[in-house]
Amino acid sequence: MPWITKDSGTINIDRRDEPYLNDTLVAEIRDKYLPRYERKAGALLPALHLVQHQYGWIPHQAMVEIAKLLDMAPADVIDTASFYEEYWLKPKGKHVVAVCRSIACEFCGQPELTDAVREHLGVDVGETTDDNEFTIIELECLGSCGTAPVMLVDHDLYENVKPEQVAEILTKAKAANAH
Amino acid sequence: MGKTAYDGTPRHLLCKRIPTPPFGDWNDRHYVDYDEYVATGGYVALRKSLAQSPDAVTQEVKKAVVRGRGGAGFPAGVKWTFLPPVPEGKAPGDPGAERYLAVNADESEPGTFKDRLLMEFDPHQLLEGIAICCHACGLNKAYIFIRGEYYLQAERLERALAEAYEKGIFGEKCVQNSDANSGGGPRFRVDCYVHRGAGAYICGEETALLEAIEGKRGYPRIKPPFPAVEGLFGRPTVINNVETLCHLTLIMDEGAEAFMAQGVESTIGGPPSYGTKLMGMSGHVERPGCYEFELGIPLRLFVEEHCGGMRNGKAFKAAIPGGVSMGILGTDQYDAELDFDIGRKYDVLGLGTACPTVFDEDTDMVAVARNISRFYKHESCGQCTPCREGSGWLYQLLCRLTDGDARAKDLDLTLELAESMGSMPGTTICGLADGNNFAMRTIIQKFRSEFEAKLKPAFVTATVGAS
Ligand SMILES: Cc1cc2nc3c(=O)[nH]c(=O)nc-3n(C[C@H](O)[C@H](O)[C@H](O)COP(=O)(O)O)c2cc1C
Ligand code: SF4
Ligand code: FES
Repeated sequence: MPWITKDSGTINIDRRDEPYLNDTLVAEIRDKYLPRYERKAGALLPALHLVQHQYGWIPHQAMVEIAKLLDMAPADVIDTASFYEEYWLKPKGKHVVAVCRSIACEFCGQPELTDAVREHLGVDVGETTDDNEFTIIELECLGSCGTAPVMLVDHDLYENVKPEQVAEILTKAKAANAH
Repeated sequence: MGKTAYDGTPRHLLCKRIPTPPFGDWNDRHYVDYDEYVATGGYVALRKSLAQSPDAVTQEVKKAVVRGRGGAGFPAGVKWTFLPPVPEGKAPGDPGAERYLAVNADESEPGTFKDRLLMEFDPHQLLEGIAICCHACGLNKAYIFIRGEYYLQAERLERALAEAYEKGIFGEKCVQNSDANSGGGPRFRVDCYVHRGAGAYICGEETALLEAIEGKRGYPRIKPPFPAVEGLFGRPTVINNVETLCHLTLIMDEGAEAFMAQGVESTIGGPPSYGTKLMGMSGHVERPGCYEFELGIPLRLFVEEHCGGMRNGKAFKAAIPGGVSMGILGTDQYDAELDFDIGRKYDVLGLGTACPTVFDEDTDMVAVARNISRFYKHESCGQCTPCREGSGWLYQLLCRLTDGDARAKDLDLTLELAESMGSMPGTTICGLADGNNFAMRTIIQKFRSEFEAKLKPAFVTATVGAS
């Protein structure tokens, strides 16, 4: 629901001296992405992806820096970024567990799967564990309905997941590098 | 010239390099690289296309009636003819003559999984289709808009693109810009890029997709102007689905007739349903998965013969023909043929993505409706009041129905609300609201008694404490 009012009035912008867009990121946006588009704003989605990949979320200062690089108004960057659910404008856990809740998954065992994830991590959907390791979310169809129920843990898709496999999958994810 | 009914032969034309039962085992699927692709007949169609004029290629595709595989079923060749000509004396890509292809790889319609295989295992087939389309329409840049959650598929595409650039399919020394382009069209450089989305179903709508490439919110545009005239960055733009573009390889390699020999004619005087279709089966069947058949295969045959029947021997109750937006097939519509006639013959919106989701006798249809309405509430972009507000109200009404708190008037209200939404009643910008309309309306109409069984009894008047 991108049209729900954002809490922009109460946002605290944490500023730091060191720019979020370091030289490597600037070079990648400028040399790889900008030439692809007729207008600079075309590189906005790729730039946001890069920042999120680097920091795990997209701090407001980073959006202001992106705006400058792409000759855009910061408000336009925030406008776009806040529309897309995959962009985290607040910090999240190191790993994101995303359970599919759409039609095929719900009727092939998703409710039990979500319960198992909740129980294993001790937090609800939309919450992050106290040790900041995991955030649970539910997403719509992940395009793997033939192997329902499915869940994404960071970039890895797990198919035909049984509740009893959850512990093992999440332990493995915790051991692997965070995205 | 085509067949009047499905003749029972499964095919694997798009999946010829992607093992699919009964021609192979799912476990044998692997990434087909450039060398393997070429060794198995790849990039022949592109070379044959380049030996013909762009117009001749468009005419061949138009003749084959390749109806769009992204959901709407609009013939690709016809769509291409809406493009204005390349300005006199210029080649595509010259300043002022930029022309674009946007490949729709958003694949977010619940129940749909088919484009993912084409990109994950045989991406060169898509790249070849893109190059053919760029030649036919004179397009100098192609953007593959892929949904954000398809990490692996985006990686595979990048890998294939690196190979394709190295081999001169795209880039400075691309085939379009060389002697291979001998059919009389202009020579120009063609580029192809992956552009990742970020989790918004609405970006599958073609104009929202263009907005997302331009770096804006994924708000569908009011049409006209149509993208063919004023699309990406205001330039002429073609938008096609991944699967639609993959079909071009067969058409340009073996000719339109080879394509038209698959699939069926319309039995109700409509346009034909030629070709094969990837069909991802999900839900309560023994062997769900993505198969390929000629269009026209009856749902019953698909389930009973190819998917091992209904799971645990249960009885069939209902099915969504191709993504939740299409509405639902009732228990007595198990024999529905999966072709483009389905909308008019079985009171659903259409074939959609032809990826059916099947439900068995134990399924609670009110819960199905609730799940679907939550999806629309969540994914409505919010531009149009009937869609934004209506989708929220519908979800609340369905929650009330599932919880057993609804009365008869709530059910009537649900139907009335659903029927009032959509670009077909003329109240919204895009088709998302029509999907919501059809899904809710057909489920309630075809399974009304289940909804009624959950209603609270009507108010009764009683006299209390009379004295
Ligand atoms: C709400 C909505 C969502 C859509 N999602 C997709 C999608 O995920 N993938 C797709 O190929 N087409 C989708 N479409 C259809 C496209 O708008 C468009 O018709 C299609 O990409 C055209 O390509 P084709 O003619 O090759 O099918 C969607 C349409 C609507 C209204
Ligand atoms: S119909 Fe719904 S999704 Fe489409 S433009 Fe209007 S509000 Fe957005
Ligand atoms: S419904 Fe869960 S992956 Fe499609």
